[in-house]
Amino acid sequence: MTAPQVPSVTRRIEQERVDRYAVAGRDPNPIHRETPEAYAGPFGRPAAHGMILLAMVSEAMGAAFGLAWAETGSFKVRWRSPALPPVTVTASATLKKEQDGLATYEVAVQDEHGETLLTGTAAARTA
Amino acid sequence: MKTDLEFSDLRKGDTFAEFPLSVTADEVLAYLDATGESPAIWTKHVPPLFLDALVVAELLAQVKIPKGVMHTGQEHESHRAARIDEVLTVRMGVAALSEKRGVTLAAFEADVRDAAGEPVTTMRISVMVAPDGVTV
Repeated sequence: MTAPQVPSVTRRIEQERVDRYAVAGRDPNPIHRETPEAYAGPFGRPAAHGMILLAMVSEAMGAAFGLAWAETGSFKVRWRSPALPPVTVTASATLKKEQDGLATYEVAVQDEHGETLLTGTAAARTA
Repeated sequence: MKTDLEFSDLRKGDTFAEFPLSVTADEVLAYLDATGESPAIWTKHVPPLFLDALVVAELLAQVKIPKGVMHTGQEHESHRAARIDEVLTVRMGVAALSEKRGVTLAAFEADVRDAAGEPVTTMRISVMVAPDGVTV
């Protein structure tokens, strides 16, 4: 298998999705929800969980590698800016190198204004 | 498991009590519904990032997270895919801890193993805690 092209994933993140993630991902931190803490916090309003953005990177890698992503995948990312709902974000991955059966991609998530919210690398085995 | 451990009590090298982790098919579906991902390839296995999310959740449950905390980075390595309903064990500890001008940087490493003690996933969770009132 040669290194596959990884499809971009674009998604609208509304507060309702963030609220559902808070339950499913068991992260009740009030800065992510419509709470006084969120409006008094550093962003002045609720911010989506960074893990929602990272899940889109994982989704893109899973679409390209299938179950091999769960079997052999790795990533290292940093969040650069918050995603403030409602916002449309796109996760993308660009092949950086393929060596010894390991395909490594530069990954990023950007919002509709081109602001970078997350950067890093992700890799999975091709052999 | 919940504890009253304060974030300020943490020291580099501290370890948490091991805890079990098992994910049901319904939990996977709820997670995928929330993130928006199709469940097509996750009928028998757990999405790798869901394991990370659940370990982060356990960290939130075990340590009183102070105001101003931000999840700044995440690293993950899969050794094999975790199966739905499989009983796993998680070991987690404080891998790094530093403070500069009132801002605390901490990293937690977690090791997820199967019933045979074989590695399934390892991860590193980085957080930053700013003092109250500081915008980061």
